[in-house]
Amino acid sequence: MQSESHIDPKIVEEILKFSKNVINAPKLVSAPDEISLEVTPHDIVQQIDKTRLLHYRPLTEKQHKTPLLISYALINRYHILDIQPEKSWVRNLLLQGFDVYMLDWGTPTSMDKYLDFDDYVNGYLDSSVEHIKNESSSEKISLQGYCTGGTIATTYASLHPESVKNYIATAPVIDGWRDTTVISNLAKHMDVDKMVDTIGNMPPEFMYYCFSVLKPFEQGIEKYVKFFKNIDNKQFVDNFLRVEKWLGDTPPIPGELFKQWIKDIYQENLLIQNKMYVGGEHIDLKKIDMPIFTQIAVGDHLVSPECSMPLHYAVGSEDKTLRMYPTGHVGMIASSLSQKKVLPELGQWLAERS
Amino acid sequence: MQSEPSKNTTDYYKHLSLFWTDIIHLMSSKPQALSSIGPMRAFASNSKKISTELIEINDDLMEFNQYLTEYYKQLADTWGIAQKKTNLKVPDIPQDVEQIEAFKRIWIDIFDNDFTELFDSEKFGENYGKLVSKELELTKHWNNITNVILQSVNLPSKEEIDEVYKEMHSLKKRVSKLELELKKQEMKKNAK
Repeated sequence: MQSESHIDPKIVEEILKFSKNVINAPKLVSAPDEISLEVTPHDIVQQIDKTRLLHYRPLTEKQHKTPLLISYALINRYHILDIQPEKSWVRNLLLQGFDVYMLDWGTPTSMDKYLDFDDYVNGYLDSSVEHIKNESSSEKISLQGYCTGGTIATTYASLHPESVKNYIATAPVIDGWRDTTVISNLAKHMDVDKMVDTIGNMPPEFMYYCFSVLKPFEQGIEKYVKFFKNIDNKQFVDNFLRVEKWLGDTPPIPGELFKQWIKDIYQENLLIQNKMYVGGEHIDLKKIDMPIFTQIAVGDHLVSPECSMPLHYAVGSEDKTLRMYPTGHVGMIASSLSQKKVLPELGQWLAERS
Repeated sequence: MQSEPSKNTTDYYKHLSLFWTDIIHLMSSKPQALSSIGPMRAFASNSKKISTELIEINDDLMEFNQYLTEYYKQLADTWGIAQKKTNLKVPDIPQDVEQIEAFKRIWIDIFDNDFTELFDSEKFGENYGKLVSKELELTKHWNNITNVILQSVNLPSKEEIDEVYKEMHSLKKRVSKLELELKKQEMKKNAK
């Protein structure tokens, strides 16, 4: 006797629809290479080595007096803060009347392997701050540091408090021993001396590996299934490709800088213990005495809340605010939640102090 | 780590190879010096360095393979456990679109949780650190061999290029400091 087949016709329909979407995908969407990630118009006002200081053109008639400089992370590029008009961190701040600058660290080459924390903090970041102060005729600026850019900005705020009027720490990497992420586990067991001596800069391939161990099945399979299922949804596809392109653009990290970052933050945890030195100068978090606004994402799987939060308690500031948001590392800066909740709260805090 | 007898055998062959490389190099250096000039002469005198690197690569490769095997074992074990958990939670084969979706969600959640737990563990971090370290040692041997070849054709080695980078970096720092000093003096002058 022949057994009857019980395959749900909807399954066949779904498979056929999915296959059709895969075939039609190249006709419907652009290749990531064809997409430009430059969204909000800006001018390049200073270039030192491979770094560029971007000044965004204002979108309001009147602006707050104190300019804001964003120190982006060392991982990937600054474009995530301006990924598309509806989710742009930068555009939102411009619309709230802030004068926004961004420090693009550029793409280091083998030649830059000896660049260290001192070059980034007292060199590139300090030069940018000085340039903005001159250009805007301000004595102080507001500074925002995101992720590893938060580590750099924190050390800067400690060494140069006279130049920072307000400090915004967005998911900063501060207390490496408390970090519960997979990244921190890999960093703690890394022979970083050998890596830098042998390879020079921290290679992008290694960063891809670190990203691939973060929710590998959701991020490695399901995400792409969703992409092909939603191939007709222009907004979804556009956002997906922009974020994917940003994820794929991982510049190397200068060897010496990477070495100090891994050792001082993840392995020896010197920053939060006030034992870190940059360019021979002691980093004392108590010297951060300006108003500080710390933003933390509860679901952050790149920098866990336990890693960022200690900054709030370690600084010397009297005017300090801690905000926690029910989102992830990228969700905090490039999502509808960031537009509806994170940025309005930041804008209000900053406007009162700008 | 290598077992004792296997280490002895490796050491024996290492010694044997080095002995003959040295002897042949010494025996042939004089006639070679007469018959070869320029880059080929440099290559001949560096051949010992290459064979030493190759022997050491063999040693490191054995340890690298051990850590690599452990790495894949950890992945495979975690996969097996996660699959068993999924099978327990969803014992029946999904029959319609809704069931397939539910199964997929459960599968992804269990696999992501179990693999994150693995990547977060001390045993994974330790083995992965050693694996990368061995990979870097292999890369270092390859770099050393390439350096010997580069020097034999009168091209700068990685170390020599690194020296230039280091010098440039230090010069840039000194120039920046001087520029800053000049700026400060100029500001003082203008203030007067």
